[in-house]
Amino acid sequence: MTVSLSSAHGGRSGVLGKMPRLNWWIITALTVLAMIGVAMHASVSAGDATALKPLTHGLRFAALLCIAIGVALFVPPRTWYLIAYPLYATTMLLLIGVELVGETRMGATRWLSIGPMSLQPSEIMKIAIVLALARYYEDLRPGRAPTLLWSVPALLLVGAPVALVMHQPDLGTATLIAMAGLAVMFLAGLRWRYIIVAMSVAAASAVGAYYFALHDYQRARINVFLGLADDPLGEGYHVLQSKIAIGSAGLTGAGWREGSQSQGDFLPEKDTDFIFTMIVEEFGFVGGFGVIAVFAFLLWKAVEVATRARTSFGALAAAGVAATLACYVLINTAMVTGLVPVVGIPLPLISYGGTAMVTIMAGFAIVLSIDLHRDQTGGRGILW
Amino acid sequence: MTTVKRDAGGIFNRRAVLLSGVAFGGLGAVALRMAQLQATDFFSGEWSEQARENRFDRRVVTPPRGVLYDRFGVELATTRRDLRVSIIPEDVDDLEATIGAIAQVLELDDAWIRRRVREARNGKPYEPLLLRQSLEWDQFAIINARLPELKGVIAEDTETRSYPHSLVFAHPIGYVAKPTQREIDRVLAEGSEGERRAIYLRNPDVRLGKAGLERALEDMLHGEAGWRLVKVDANGRPVGEDTGSQNPPKPGAGVVLTLDADLQKRAMEAFGEQAGSAIVMDIVTGDILVMASAPGFDPNLFVNGIGQADFDELNLSDRHPLYHKAVTGTYSPGSTFKMMVGIAARRAGMPEDWAVSCPGYFPFGGRNFHCWRRGGHGRVDMHGAIKGSCDVFFYRAALYAGAERIAQVAREFGFGQRYDLGLPRQDNAFLDSMRQGIVPDPAWWRSIGRGQWTDGLTVNFGIGQGDLQVTPIQLAVMTARLASGRTVAPRLIREGPGVSDPPVFPSIAGLDPAHLAQARAGMYGVSNEGGGTALSASNIGLVRHPETRQIMQASPETARYEPVRIAGKTGTAQVRAITAATRGRHYSTIEWKYRDHGLFVCFGPWDDPRYACAVVVEHGGAGSSVAGPIAKVIMHDTILKDPARMQPRTLAQLQAQQMGTPA
Repeated sequence: MTVSLSSAHGGRSGVLGKMPRLNWWIITALTVLAMIGVAMHASVSAGDATALKPLTHGLRFAALLCIAIGVALFVPPRTWYLIAYPLYATTMLLLIGVELVGETRMGATRWLSIGPMSLQPSEIMKIAIVLALARYYEDLRPGRAPTLLWSVPALLLVGAPVALVMHQPDLGTATLIAMAGLAVMFLAGLRWRYIIVAMSVAAASAVGAYYFALHDYQRARINVFLGLADDPLGEGYHVLQSKIAIGSAGLTGAGWREGSQSQGDFLPEKDTDFIFTMIVEEFGFVGGFGVIAVFAFLLWKAVEVATRARTSFGALAAAGVAATLACYVLINTAMVTGLVPVVGIPLPLISYGGTAMVTIMAGFAIVLSIDLHRDQTGGRGILW
Repeated sequence: MTTVKRDAGGIFNRRAVLLSGVAFGGLGAVALRMAQLQATDFFSGEWSEQARENRFDRRVVTPPRGVLYDRFGVELATTRRDLRVSIIPEDVDDLEATIGAIAQVLELDDAWIRRRVREARNGKPYEPLLLRQSLEWDQFAIINARLPELKGVIAEDTETRSYPHSLVFAHPIGYVAKPTQREIDRVLAEGSEGERRAIYLRNPDVRLGKAGLERALEDMLHGEAGWRLVKVDANGRPVGEDTGSQNPPKPGAGVVLTLDADLQKRAMEAFGEQAGSAIVMDIVTGDILVMASAPGFDPNLFVNGIGQADFDELNLSDRHPLYHKAVTGTYSPGSTFKMMVGIAARRAGMPEDWAVSCPGYFPFGGRNFHCWRRGGHGRVDMHGAIKGSCDVFFYRAALYAGAERIAQVAREFGFGQRYDLGLPRQDNAFLDSMRQGIVPDPAWWRSIGRGQWTDGLTVNFGIGQGDLQVTPIQLAVMTARLASGRTVAPRLIREGPGVSDPPVFPSIAGLDPAHLAQARAGMYGVSNEGGGTALSASNIGLVRHPETRQIMQASPETARYEPVRIAGKTGTAQVRAITAATRGRHYSTIEWKYRDHGLFVCFGPWDDPRYACAVVVEHGGAGSSVAGPIAKVIMHDTILKDPARMQPRTLAQLQAQQMGTPA
């Protein structure tokens, strides 16, 4: 049946035949963002001809894009549906493993070493939670998704990894997992009244967490953000320097490699979490707005995939990936402009570093796969 | 079979649109936030200003310190180029390797490396540690070329205060040094203005006057700091060219002193190993030509911080090289005071030819007051008593005059007071450090709670012993006033901001010229007549040409010329009572620090006095033996050079000259 269906659609046979039907808008947007990253890493490395960062960034993206396209072509949504729970369960085990034998770097236990590789299970969880919830709601009988009772398992699916990641501690990733999970629950149709109650509870527990669950450095960041503490050389330094850079950039910025805040090292972590600041400093409001626009376009295209999907699983999985991307971008840009407290979240595809890029590209591999195979449905709605 | 989502685009699509709307709204909020930050900047310049403050570091440029010149324009304290190498310990990866590399260039040994490494470890990690100064140009160039590999090393081309005459002017000019923590704390206590000042004082290039004129004239010499903007990175390292604006510093004012470098140097040399002080004054203007305190020290040691060992050596020496003895050393004037007693006695009505018989002692109040000459002087009048320094005569003259009158005359001649030396500010620490000395009288005696003054004290007063304490500068003033009869006051500054020409000093009120003349004649006798105590100092080796009146060096050809004469007075100040038996014969057996101070005061040329000189030699024995010969050397050079009659250099000339020569 699979074979017949695939040959029925498009009328062309073989994997290559599917190529034109890939969502090239998404692929283009991803590529544009990665190339902006390459340009910014070249700026970070100004004056150092031997710097490998721009090249590494570009090659890493190229490799991941090839893999993502390959996965999209070869792995149908059915497979994602099938591996959703095993992937979730394995990732949970790895997270527990982190608790037990994890590797501590810079005060946080996030890494597991397996032979020569080290990996952050919490990153895998960002995708695993989306798939697991999508499957959960796909499997649910109609009419049950909005109810409180049937939301409890979903909430547990989200809550368990969030608690573990919070404990590492990694506030940023925990927030991302929680928000992606809650977004999927919301899209699955949870009743508004529960949502309102849940938001109240969340606000209350945020206050509670502030006093009891957060680490001192996390609390300090929030204090600085709320204006409760003035610490221009400590926790407030990052944001102050970022605001200086953005505020003084003007419409078109200082020019590539000309940003004094970035080039003079006043702006910390400019190649990772604060790269958006550097973009604005060197390319001004126009540059910053352009990057936001590309992300918005990517988001729109991902949501489009979700709404086009014929199955709950496909819709919720694509939407979950879109939500994850939105959370990344919103939290990062809001953080560097001083709208929210500092949480260590990079700007996807642009910030240097493999982890976030792998996560996002894995997510978009799923989105591309769902989009490509959107007509291949059967049985209960999933391609059998 | 084509199944669709069970809610068929109902709830899911609505909520997807809603959630997308939230996301797009969030992104829009970020864009607005960017716009808001930039709009704030557009209207207030807030962020651009902060970016500029980040980017440009305002570096203080210390002002060149004013140059101190002698009266003829010789530079006594100046600013010279200094090539140095420092490190910032926290920026250095490997202290041993880095300091070792520098030691290799400077050809220094392992001990030096170890010492510097230790200092770097013990000091504040962020504060530059000066490794070595006064580098040779090629050493500096090598280190400069290797800077990229020597992380944390700073090679600086700076300026430093320099005292080219080393120890010769150490006391009158003093030295500059880094501000101490105490000074910084003191200005910090003055509030926000003090905080700014403290930041300035912490600048490693800032030096403050710590002693002598450097301290007294600090405000005048220091100048005003300027600044320049340097483009820096977040670590404060300069990057690229200096593109910022700047405000050049205002150099400190130059000051021309009254001192004569040649004579001062001669005086310091004349002391040899001895400790003491010598002053030469122009008796007309009060100009201090020589203000020497021996032994000296090298003030250059203090400019960049003196080592503890060097400091201890200076500070603990029993010859007290750090003391500015000319104004802070107090001594009993001994017999140099006898002119005061004589004048006071005359004023009390003692006849000119009043004479006493000196058997070598004076029995008074149940004890014998001895004369220094054990056999006595026989019958002496005031002239003979000054000439032979007869103690018995002055015991009795003191009783004739009374303590109050002696004290009054002593004050008229300048004892018991400080001089501002022509310094512009009245209240400054340098002047406060000068000693006032003590002129005792019955009122003072009561005021310190010692009860009734006794005639025995008056007797002792008569030979300048007892509680009477004077400084070398006061002795010079006394001598100048004896020579001129006018209230000559000393000054150390010829020309500088706020310095005016010396006044024409009025005659000393109430002084009978006849009394003065008799005292002066006695002083002439001291060094020129038989029985004088300082005949050895009489011939200063100068003669006056009979026709041209030119003073010249004595030589066989000038044998028939009239010798230039000086008038003087010896003095011996007891440090502790020395018995008549030990004095003289066994003098060399007395421990140095218990020996008497030797004093000599003189003025000359006798027939046309222009220069007054006072010499104190600590523990030098009788005034005639050590102090006299030193005074003779100084007076010889002074009278021969005759600086008072030479045209001095003006500040304008000196500054024009400095402009003309490339730095």
